[in-house]
Amino acid sequence: MMKIYTMNKNLPFTANTKMADVIHRNYILIPVINRFGIKFGFGNKTVIEVCDEYNLNVSFFLEIINSYHNPNYFPKEELQNYTSYLIIQYLRNAHSYYCEVKVPEIQDYIDKISKLTSENNLRNIQLINNFFKEYRLELKKHLDNEEDEVFPYIISLEEAFATKYCSDILYDQIVNESIEKYEINHDSLEIKLGDLKNLLIKFLPPEFSNETCQQLLAELFRLESDLENHTRIEEKVLVPKVKLLEQKVLEASGRN
Amino acid sequence: MEEIKKIQVVIAARQFLYRLGIKTFLSVIGVEPESFEVTNLDELKSVVKRIKCDFIIVTEDIFPDSQSCCMDYFEKYCPKNKIMILRSNATGECQYKNAIFNMDNQKSVLEKFQAFLFEPETENNENDPGMSLLSDREIEVLKVVALGYSNKEIANKLFISINTVITHRKNITEKLEIKTIAGLTVYAMMNNFISPDDVRR
Repeated sequence: MMKIYTMNKNLPFTANTKMADVIHRNYILIPVINRFGIKFGFGNKTVIEVCDEYNLNVSFFLEIINSYHNPNYFPKEELQNYTSYLIIQYLRNAHSYYCEVKVPEIQDYIDKISKLTSENNLRNIQLINNFFKEYRLELKKHLDNEEDEVFPYIISLEEAFATKYCSDILYDQIVNESIEKYEINHDSLEIKLGDLKNLLIKFLPPEFSNETCQQLLAELFRLESDLENHTRIEEKVLVPKVKLLEQKVLEASGRN
Repeated sequence: MEEIKKIQVVIAARQFLYRLGIKTFLSVIGVEPESFEVTNLDELKSVVKRIKCDFIIVTEDIFPDSQSCCMDYFEKYCPKNKIMILRSNATGECQYKNAIFNMDNQKSVLEKFQAFLFEPETENNENDPGMSLLSDREIEVLKVVALGYSNKEIANKLFISINTVITHRKNITEKLEIKTIAGLTVYAMMNNFISPDDVRR
């Protein structure tokens, strides 16, 4: 028998939601949960029970899955309950998931299609392939920038906050190059991905390797929605938290 | 601009006289192709794999028994409408609209060949969705956008105002739902509006 879920789908998940229900209510969360290292087989355990088992910060976990689940979800007081280290660690995991799993997977589908395609269509597939390669480079550049510039900045903020010592360099950085100045949004990446989808859906001459094409498209849609959620976490969870941190470090430095 | 390339036609028939007849007929109607002659199915298979043929003309005697329409194999290499089959009669199922039968007289053979070889590209809408989407002027603008020209350069090139360029670009993007220049370039190349050699940056 199918279990009927009568609860409001948009209600946020809580510490007492059953972990299995999280996935039943939104299967998009499967890779997200796995990114935390959580494996299936959780029986009837609740979110908090599973988090305890894996030694995860439950409010952080909830923040992430709720942001993915509901685009309008906006975290408030909970922001204080964990450090930015956790967010950064999560984002890094997500980055390597995109670069090492998702993107190569999509590349494999494109390669497979080029092998199966007719000579007439091969040129078109190569154009698609080049377009995707450009996208890959841009994505990589964007993620690298976050890892090399943004994250280290946030880590030094956390350190300054913990040690109550703010170096002059950091002070300058907070004043002149605060988190607001970083290019956090992924707009141009999202637009490129949208173009790629439309080229495939609307304009690529009909393919006989249809099944692979379908899989490719499905993967593109998944990557797109994952990236959208990823951006939202950066914008709604990371940035507000860093802003708060910047403010506190400035106040503590007594130089305001 | 692109140089004129000879069209490549594969002629597959068991009998020498058929092959000669087809070749002669092609030259009579003013087509001077680079032709490849094959005498059986295996040769035909190997030649279509090797070269990029524009047209395939086959007589049904190269097929074993009655499988005169087992042409699916060749569709990977050549679009359906670029394959012509010479058959004894129209019985049996044959999905090829380009078919010549024993009863066809000179006039109808001529007409069929002409329709087959000179089919205007624009009628071929399924491979050319852009044609029905964009106006001629929009295609002109798309070409230069895809080549990486700025709005100002495009305005000068096409003798229109920058505002007109912007309007065209907006309409193109809305119609195609492709927003980046890189995406538009791919689209333009797919539809042969520009060739890779044209791309300047």
